[in-house]
Amino acid sequence: MPLDDDDNPALAPPAPHLSSPSPLPTDKTAAAAATDELTAEDLIEDEGAASQDFRAFAAALQFRKTAGVSAQTIRRGEKDFEAHGTRAQADALEQSRGAMRDVLSYTRVHSGGGKGNLARGWFFPGWWEGYREEEVEEGKEGEKKPFGFVRERVVVLEGSSVASQALGRAVTGQAKDRPARGRDWLLPEEALYLVERGSLDLWWPLKGLEELFPPDGTAEAVKEESEEDDEDDEVDEYDAGFPLSLQAAYALLIGEDGERGKISLQKFQVYSNLKRCGYNILRAPPTVNHPATKPATTTLWQWFASLLTTTPHHPPYGPLVRPGLYRSYASIYRQMALLPRHIPSATPTTTTPPTTHDPFTIHFHVWKSAQKWTKLRHPPPDFQLAVVDAQASSVPTGAEITALLGATPPAPGKPEWTGPGRIYARLKHGYRNVLVAVVDHGVINYMRFAEGTFGAEEVYGRFDFRGGGGRGGKKGGGRNNGGWGSVDCEMDG
Amino acid sequence: MAASTERQIRISRVAGRYLVFDIDDVVHIRRHYGICAVLTGTMPQNPTQNLFLGLPVELHAEEARLLVDKGAGYIADELTDHLSQLSAMDTSTRKAYLQHLKQQRRNAQQVFDEEKAKVQAKHQGKRKAKPAAVAEPPAAVTEPEEDTSLFDTPKPAAPPLSAPPKEPSLPGVTPTTSSPLLPAPTPPSPVSIPRPANYPLYQYLNARGYYTTPGLRFGGDYSVYPGDPFRYHAHYLANSYGWDEEVAMLDLVASGRLGTAVKKSFLFGAEKPAEEGATGGGDKGGEGEVRVFCIEWAGM
Repeated sequence: MPLDDDDNPALAPPAPHLSSPSPLPTDKTAAAAATDELTAEDLIEDEGAASQDFRAFAAALQFRKTAGVSAQTIRRGEKDFEAHGTRAQADALEQSRGAMRDVLSYTRVHSGGGKGNLARGWFFPGWWEGYREEEVEEGKEGEKKPFGFVRERVVVLEGSSVASQALGRAVTGQAKDRPARGRDWLLPEEALYLVERGSLDLWWPLKGLEELFPPDGTAEAVKEESEEDDEDDEVDEYDAGFPLSLQAAYALLIGEDGERGKISLQKFQVYSNLKRCGYNILRAPPTVNHPATKPATTTLWQWFASLLTTTPHHPPYGPLVRPGLYRSYASIYRQMALLPRHIPSATPTTTTPPTTHDPFTIHFHVWKSAQKWTKLRHPPPDFQLAVVDAQASSVPTGAEITALLGATPPAPGKPEWTGPGRIYARLKHGYRNVLVAVVDHGVINYMRFAEGTFGAEEVYGRFDFRGGGGRGGKKGGGRNNGGWGSVDCEMDG
Repeated sequence: MAASTERQIRISRVAGRYLVFDIDDVVHIRRHYGICAVLTGTMPQNPTQNLFLGLPVELHAEEARLLVDKGAGYIADELTDHLSQLSAMDTSTRKAYLQHLKQQRRNAQQVFDEEKAKVQAKHQGKRKAKPAAVAEPPAAVTEPEEDTSLFDTPKPAAPPLSAPPKEPSLPGVTPTTSSPLLPAPTPPSPVSIPRPANYPLYQYLNARGYYTTPGLRFGGDYSVYPGDPFRYHAHYLANSYGWDEEVAMLDLVASGRLGTAVKKSFLFGAEKPAEEGATGGGDKGGEGEVRVFCIEWAGM
């Protein structure tokens, strides 16, 4: 089934080099490495989520108690073509269903016991509602601090967990008497992701934030409280609030697009999908209206000027290639270049600054997992990602994709990709690129759009070496004949 | 199939999407209504993989509508239900919910204890057999599991367990559903779903025992399976059209070739518009006439 594999999200563009995604630094399970291997190897066989065989998974979980899961352990079960009414088939199906039921009826348990790695989150949706996050951070400290989306943050983290190294954000610059000072606040997708993977206990507060996290000496207060938890009855334990279910977490944290303090289901699905793969992912900061339109127009004019000077003047009629003696193909092809070509530049070359519109706009920045990545200090993202719904949108128009690409920074290929040998690597990589995650009811496909630079690749430059017996000439041989023919025609006409 | 009448599936509507959280519901609709839908959540047992996913299940609007039409489920607006319950909770509900939680915590504790006992028994057996290497192997086995928090595995003697005599602090629990918290279903479905455009074709396929999953992988509306996808590969790649809709020849060629390339045939269908305008929203009786064709690439 050749085409199946191409569509598999785990094999799709975000992991262009399949070996690359290494496990999340925080998840140093013995099995994480094996899982990665698994996405590369075993998914090749996989037809998709629907073909999960939970029997294998359950077996793997059992097995795991004694050793890490090897990539071969979780394997897709064999399938039949159609029902043939045998009991063996019915039994196999029944077993699969039973295994699914067993595996999925798992309840998330937090065994930290009040100390250690118990991470508790409190849902305070309204706390940052009035907060205005301006470009203060950008202006003051340069590029040091990424945009925080403070208004969107709805869950305050009590205690620190492994997750808070990569997720959440403490809001700095607060007055001393503010409650919960210095605490990490989670975005809805972060909180929901943590709840879902069983790393966070989300609580509904019955008291105000001021009571839970008193302004000064927060550390002691929390310590006290956690000790209380240990000693007192559960009546007091639920005095301040009570835990919420996964269902409640979905209800409270999933919303329509653009709703404050919520995230759409599609975006969350993409987010958690990438997190599970081990990528680091953050919301893309809102685009700043940079006054780059002027340089853009000047470069445009410069570009026109350069175009005019280099292109030979064509008479209004007559042959395109003037009769004469030519000693190289290059001079002929240069005369034939009539149409202006798209040349990518660092600033967008369109006169109107491109504005992206909602489905096709950068939603997430994605990084391959790296040891030194932190939530506050990280290199420019490896991928820029837009999330679209499969049903609600269609293939982006030229304007949409241009705007989308315009919003991404230039990302030319690797510097060592030079010379005629790597031309297709260059073309495929493009000058800018953007990923579009298409979500169809929980099934995600990643697509990559790149700004091709065909105009910059002059294939004909190689033709002149043909007589000399260079390998470039040999390589382009088949194609050139066609080109030659067309030149002939033009000259005849 | 007849036994299924009493169970009412709670279909959670969250931001216009239809989710099912209860594993019993998921199993039920899979068995009795031929709806497998898509598992979308992270598996808490093994959260760093994308091969096996967990609850919730996301339904198509067609699937949700089918369940409602068959009287098997009801739509609940989760946000309003939760907010109203959470912000103004009466003491009895609260008590019930907390009681439920405590029960779950006790169960978890019990499982932990059992597992622990099992491990201990095993180790003791080992100790008898091999007195030399006692402490080493169990430590090596259980250590990596501890720092990754949660699996369905025995915890190595955690601090709370070491003090069994007094009521130990039970492990915290995040229940999957908030069913004890939420009001019981009101008999008539309060929220209705607009009839999706693909509904007739979906209903047609479902009534004939086919399972469907989203067709994004193969470039259609649905992938259609001859039975539970646990056992079978998809046979068709299905698209729904309007009755009078002009279908571009190139689309047929493209989809037909694509389907053939992945060993499926391309299926497309449409519903004949009803003459009287009686768009039966009910059971199978309301199903209009649906015509379905298959295209396969002959390669002559």
